[in-house]
Amino acid sequence: MSLTRLCALADLGPDKITRVEVEGRSPVALALADGGAVAFDDTCPHADESLSQGWVEDGRIVCAVHFAEFEIGSGKAHNAPIGCGRLRFYPTEIRDGAVHADLAD
Amino acid sequence: MLHVKDPIGANLDRPLAGEDFRAAERFLYTEARLLDAENYTGWIALVDEDIRYWMPGMETRRRDDKRGPYAYGEMAYFDDTYAELKVRVARYNEPSAWADNPATRHAHIITNIEAYETNDPTLVAVFSCFTNVRNRNEKDQDVIHGRREDVLRRHGAGFRLALRRIFTVHNVLLSKNLNTFL
Amino acid sequence: MCKAGRPDMKPAYPQAGSYPQFADLVDTERSQVDRKVFHDEAIYQAELRQIFGRAWLFLAHESQIPGAGDFVRTKMGEDDVIVVRQRDGKIGAFLNSCPHRGNRVCMVDAGKKARGFICNYHGWSFGIDGRLVGTDGKVYDTDPDFEKHAITLTPVAQVASYKGLVFGTFDPNAPSLADWFGPFTWYLDVMLDNDPEGTEFIGGCIRSEIECNWKFPAENFVGDILHAYWTHQSGAQAILGGGVDLGPQYDERAFQASIYGHGIETNLDKTGNTKTLGYPELVDYVFSQYDKAKDRLGETRARMVGAISSCTVFPNFSFLPGQATFRVWQPKGPNKIELYTWTLVNKSMPEHIKELYRRGTMMTFSPGGVFEMDDGENWEYCTKANEGWVTRHQPLHYALGISSKIDAPDLPGHIHRGSLNDANQRYFYTRWAEFMRFDNWSDLMTAETAPPAKAAPGVAAE
Repeated sequence: MSLTRLCALADLGPDKITRVEVEGRSPVALALADGGAVAFDDTCPHADESLSQGWVEDGRIVCAVHFAEFEIGSGKAHNAPIGCGRLRFYPTEIRDGAVHADLAD
Repeated sequence: MLHVKDPIGANLDRPLAGEDFRAAERFLYTEARLLDAENYTGWIALVDEDIRYWMPGMETRRRDDKRGPYAYGEMAYFDDTYAELKVRVARYNEPSAWADNPATRHAHIITNIEAYETNDPTLVAVFSCFTNVRNRNEKDQDVIHGRREDVLRRHGAGFRLALRRIFTVHNVLLSKNLNTFL
Repeated sequence: MCKAGRPDMKPAYPQAGSYPQFADLVDTERSQVDRKVFHDEAIYQAELRQIFGRAWLFLAHESQIPGAGDFVRTKMGEDDVIVVRQRDGKIGAFLNSCPHRGNRVCMVDAGKKARGFICNYHGWSFGIDGRLVGTDGKVYDTDPDFEKHAITLTPVAQVASYKGLVFGTFDPNAPSLADWFGPFTWYLDVMLDNDPEGTEFIGGCIRSEIECNWKFPAENFVGDILHAYWTHQSGAQAILGGGVDLGPQYDERAFQASIYGHGIETNLDKTGNTKTLGYPELVDYVFSQYDKAKDRLGETRARMVGAISSCTVFPNFSFLPGQATFRVWQPKGPNKIELYTWTLVNKSMPEHIKELYRRGTMMTFSPGGVFEMDDGENWEYCTKANEGWVTRHQPLHYALGISSKIDAPDLPGHIHRGSLNDANQRYFYTRWAEFMRFDNWSDLMTAETAPPAKAAPGVAAE
């Protein structure tokens, strides 16, 4: 497992979604949930909008643009427009106060 | 006991048949004829003293809105007991009920009648549609369309109105008032 | 269009003008109003600009939209507006019209927890804060000239609350809501602040259509209790078992008060209006709360809580204290309104008391109500009669009680003795004329309808 450092845990806030640029791949989004940090693709699987405009509500990531909701962990889509796929989540680990994720394919 | 906020308990696999159905149908037509004639005293004589008579306001809501287009306990046109219906009848019978003097011309058109047994042998469930036309003075015309869900209580050879749910197709009532029963 | 530069998408708030020729149709010297104000299309358009384009207008009760994303749709004049609770708890209001092609972005009357509002036409998506958050997500985002961040639903210029009631104005230069009311809040508090826990609306809104000019119902509620005696005999007979009795309580212990065109007529009989709802239990309840209200509001206002009384907040928001019906007369051209009605109760009331208010307003002031039923036709024919060319040139009489003005140092505003009086209606039309005449708030807030200076307006009565 190869971990990529994304940001300091202190940079994350309740309910909000933080976008992190990662060299060589599409941006990753981070949010606080389940007592820790969760990492997922920032690009909404529906229409390429940034999920960092959205928020966390009742265990789901909510896209602010067309209001699809994704279950944290499984990424299963609810209330989504036609053609919206599953949101991909990545395993995370906190090391030295920073959030790391395994972004391997 | 049925409540006006709930569906009327029709057993759709047990429709009323023959003379029983015709009696239920005749009840609705008689009621409409009395209302057309502004015979409110005659009409309320067909009403059970335990009546609940409800016509909620109809809102436009998103399909996924759990509240739906109406909610019991919120704003309504009618949510009456027998005592409250009697107050309305008392007003109609006053000569100074100006919205009815000169008289309003009414046509209560009742269609799409279906009648079913309920789990209570003394009660039957009846669905119908209505078009209510009121016209007064030269050309003041108001038309209301909607559906009704009634519970009729068996009473001798006929029925009494025990419960009525009225759902119009209108969001904004296209009338200045509602000087009739539906 | 063929030069194809970038658009300026800044929200626009039209400026007011001045229409002295319309203002002159209200003849304060002779207590007359020219019928033209009730039927003329050009005057109606001027009303949209001068009055509905800049007055503070009633939008909602805060209790209707308690959580983030909760919203109702309503009108300000003929403009469709979404009123929505923000994630920080504040209330925003926006024109319900997409800045792309103008389509409505919200088709429904109300809802809970909206994520935002998406236009059905091209999928432009707006947050509950009105900002454009995205479009289709494909095409516009690849257009380097598209300035997404410059685009928003047009915000209502100012939104503010007074004790649970939310108002908005399209005029960025309008005075604060507090200044707009002035000491009239002393009277609003009779309904809004007779209990420490405040008020709420019962859910839902009943809406109906009346073919009348919006000013007839507004003037009726601002100060025409006299009509009840004739118009509402049948309803009073049905509910109370007797006609309306014009006893001394309408004269000796009654008054009309007007401030900036807002007006209330009231007597001090404690429960006259509440009685007409038809439930003795409600009357007992109002009596049982009297001492508490008196501690809070003083004797005069405590006696008003359930009294025979009616009120209009200029221009088109009205209510009946004691009967708990609150309503807006939404203009739809010079000859039509949509009437929106709600029922207001104190949060602290027991559920069965709230339920009796709901049923009581349904029985009385609702399209099928035994009182309201007889109002609409009067207002329709007050309006329709002016189709006659000669008829429309005839004078109208607004002169009841022209010598009844009193000082009343304990009561804020312009006070007239007795509630059977045209005084508030004269002030209402005077205010209307001020809005037609003046293009600026400095003149508007110091004109004739402004409250007279009193020793301690609003508290003198305590």
